[in-house]
Amino acid sequence: MQSDQLIIFENVSKFYGEVLGVNRVTLAIAPGVTSLVGPNGAGKTTLMNLMTGLLRPTKGTIRVLDIPPSDPERFFRNIGYCSQFDAFPRGLSGYHMVHSMLMLHGLSSGEAEDRTWKVLERVGMTDAAHRRVAGYSKGMRQRIRLALALAHDPRVLVLDEPLNGLDPMARAEVIDLFRKFADSGMHVLISSHIMHEVDIVSDSVIMLSGGYVVAEGEIQGVRHEMEEHPIQILVRCDRPAVIASNVFQQDSVVEVKIHNDGRGLLVSTRNPDRFYDLLNRIVLDNHIAVESVSPADENVHAVYQYLVGSNGTGSL
Amino acid sequence: MAVYKRTYTRYSGPLTSERGRFAILPRYALESVLSSRFYTVAFMLALVPHLIALALIYFRSHIDALSGLGIDARALQILSIDGGFFLNLFIVETFISFFMVALLGPGLIAPDLANNAMPLYLSRPFSRVEYVIGKLSVLLAVTSLITWVPGLLLFGIQTALTGLSWSWDNLRVLVAILLGSWLWLLTISLIALALSAWVKWRPVAAAALFGIFFVSAGFGTVSNVLLLTRWGTLLNLSSAMRMVWRWLFLSETQYRIATPPFGTMPAWTGLVTLCAVCGLALLLLAWKIRPVQVVR
Repeated sequence: MQSDQLIIFENVSKFYGEVLGVNRVTLAIAPGVTSLVGPNGAGKTTLMNLMTGLLRPTKGTIRVLDIPPSDPERFFRNIGYCSQFDAFPRGLSGYHMVHSMLMLHGLSSGEAEDRTWKVLERVGMTDAAHRRVAGYSKGMRQRIRLALALAHDPRVLVLDEPLNGLDPMARAEVIDLFRKFADSGMHVLISSHIMHEVDIVSDSVIMLSGGYVVAEGEIQGVRHEMEEHPIQILVRCDRPAVIASNVFQQDSVVEVKIHNDGRGLLVSTRNPDRFYDLLNRIVLDNHIAVESVSPADENVHAVYQYLVGSNGTGSL
Repeated sequence: MAVYKRTYTRYSGPLTSERGRFAILPRYALESVLSSRFYTVAFMLALVPHLIALALIYFRSHIDALSGLGIDARALQILSIDGGFFLNLFIVETFISFFMVALLGPGLIAPDLANNAMPLYLSRPFSRVEYVIGKLSVLLAVTSLITWVPGLLLFGIQTALTGLSWSWDNLRVLVAILLGSWLWLLTISLIALALSAWVKWRPVAAAALFGIFFVSAGFGTVSNVLLLTRWGTLLNLSSAMRMVWRWLFLSETQYRIATPPFGTMPAWTGLVTLCAVCGLALLLLAWKIRPVQVVR
């Protein structure tokens, strides 16, 4: 992929005095939804601040769509940032906030007005547009933050904990919105500590711990590279004991647990492809009724736990 | 993958000039100032000295007409409309503009910092310098309307009443109104903004602004007495400003009378003091106005 479609970090380090923010980060982020995963203090916000040009790296270079942060006019026009803080100047209404921020992007008052209404409609805030932000609920503030990030039509959306404070319905809508952005070719970078949401929405993940990138890529790919941790496969069927007694003929199967309800089993294997072949044979030979077969630990939470362990994982 | 289709299109219409974008910040701040009854009253009161000056200028040119109306206006004959007249007017305005800045200044930056709003501004094509200029322009716009703008109007009215020869003879007054006002307004505005950036609680920031002016003035006077020196005068910012204004407004003869060689400081020391204070305030602002506040 060409560099004008990538967010590139080359050996980037950021230190706050003697305190490490992130260290030796090298990444090439493609369009789509990418999630930054890690506990508090892992370096997610630092990475986002570096990506959005709010912080300059102590070492290394960053280019977003081949534009360096030293070219702020082009750089910021391509980036929409939604910080995790309730960052609103006092006294303004939602409409005025979005309108003035669009004018800071260089849009005329008339054009900014049109776009303000469009984006407020997109995030479902038209009715409350002229109320003061100070009087908004947490979910409404979150929507306005999203509107601020989206209003100038950036190509890269960087969203720090964008789902916080949203009710389940709004979360579903916002996640759907992210998917639409990604499908239209945008970069959508989100940080979240809610793992199942990351799983639902992400094309790829970047896992951080203590300022270092510990893994990156599509979650299944990352999981399959972790050979020291056998992959867990959940099989729901009518006769799990038959499968359990047969799968041990494979060396790669290290553990089998039959569910208490007698309707399934959890298999740990170092070679999932060989296991699936064997499972097919067992099912056909023994006429077993299979309800479902699914990987049990190909999710961000499990992978992160394997990689980093539970020590110091904070809110994860 | 669908994500690589790139069906997305960005805004490609015309953009406003980068240079004027700072003016977006004072937009709402000025709106709220103008809609406030309190500020309107303060603003009207601030214009009272200029209205008195206007009356004096007018009656000084129409003494005969006043006599015709049976009003004894002989006292006005000793009043000279010159640099000294404008100097006195601006010394009064020093205090009024200071109070205006003390009312408005502390509330300009502190709320943005308290609400973590800096990333909001600075993740756009908008720099820290533009942010400070934007906030500064709120104070400069309001205080200009009660200092050099009416000052220039008075100068114009006096010229209209007495003729161009007066204007030519007092050209330095015109320069003094502009330079002197801007120097003073910049100094107090930058101090107010620096305090607003460092002191998040508005009343405390306003109190600190008063403290800087009045406590330092007292400290300067005490230093002069105890150390038998004149340099303590420089701690008093309004005295420093007066030194510069005297030099700007007064003719050479008037200046010599107003500043005897012993007991007063030369004008340049006042200018250096004010510039140093402006520089310090800018440093404090640069230190505090950052896109991300790093908590160690």
